[in-house]
Amino acid sequence: MIAVMPTVDGHMLDKEFFADQVEANLDRFYAHAILMTKNEACAEDLVAEGIAKAWKAVDSLQDATRFVPWVKRIMTNHFISEQRKASTKTRHIEYHEEFSEESEPFSLFEQLHQPFLLWWGNPEKEFLDDLLQKDIVAAFEALPENFRIAVLMADVEGLSYPEISDTLDVPVGTVRSRIARARSALQKQLWDHALEKGLVDQEGED
Amino acid sequence: MSEKPEKLACEQAIKMILEYLDNELTEHDHVAMNGHFETCRSCFSRMEFEKMLKDKISALPAKKAPDSLRNKIKKVTGKF
Ligand SMILES: [Zn+2]
Repeated sequence: MIAVMPTVDGHMLDKEFFADQVEANLDRFYAHAILMTKNEACAEDLVAEGIAKAWKAVDSLQDATRFVPWVKRIMTNHFISEQRKASTKTRHIEYHEEFSEESEPFSLFEQLHQPFLLWWGNPEKEFLDDLLQKDIVAAFEALPENFRIAVLMADVEGLSYPEISDTLDVPVGTVRSRIARARSALQKQLWDHALEKGLVDQEGED
Repeated sequence: MSEKPEKLACEQAIKMILEYLDNELTEHDHVAMNGHFETCRSCFSRMEFEKMLKDKISALPAKKAPDSLRNKIKKVTGKF
């Protein structure tokens, strides 16, 4: 059977191209896996299994310039289906999913913004500038898994809500509210972290 | 000047900022948001802030794959 390979610049996507792409982007795949699994050994397994799966499914790659997001998506799907298998054994609950809709989302902007500040002051931008990548990673890793994956898919992979809905097999409405709550939780984490580190002071609180 | 579409209240605009940035609003709402940002500095700053944070998150991962993984992957791709 001859598979029709996607092409890059007119060249067939062959094994060599695939291996080169994997090699060149391995850090990105690994970083993605770490954010998902939060564990180095699990992340290694996930990358290896994801890449093996990707090769088997290479026919489904329509545009070779989308190699990285395509592999990441395969990794994400693989991770989710593995989690699902494990969760039917342990009957784990979709945590935080049933949180009351009414609870006000937490907004960093509201904490930081000072509407009456002179025009050159921008405390919210300063806050972001002080924020290190590792602060964000820590806040991110503190999120429950379904929140983490939702934000990963939306912000890191840039998938649309319908695409996320498709991958996770949940309604678009659930995706929408999950992403909203995940971001609120993430901002709360960042705020608490900043308070702990003394990056912000609470003098404005009353 | 052309007639203005119905005005958004800040409260409504704030609720839609993240979906605006995700490009998930209907075209009608998206246009209404653009209109709101033109006249409301506070919501515009808020949108800018959320955008910067989103960009920071999208740039997130900066982890090097360990050698053990590189070797493992070489074995995987070597078998193709
Ligand atoms: Zn406004």
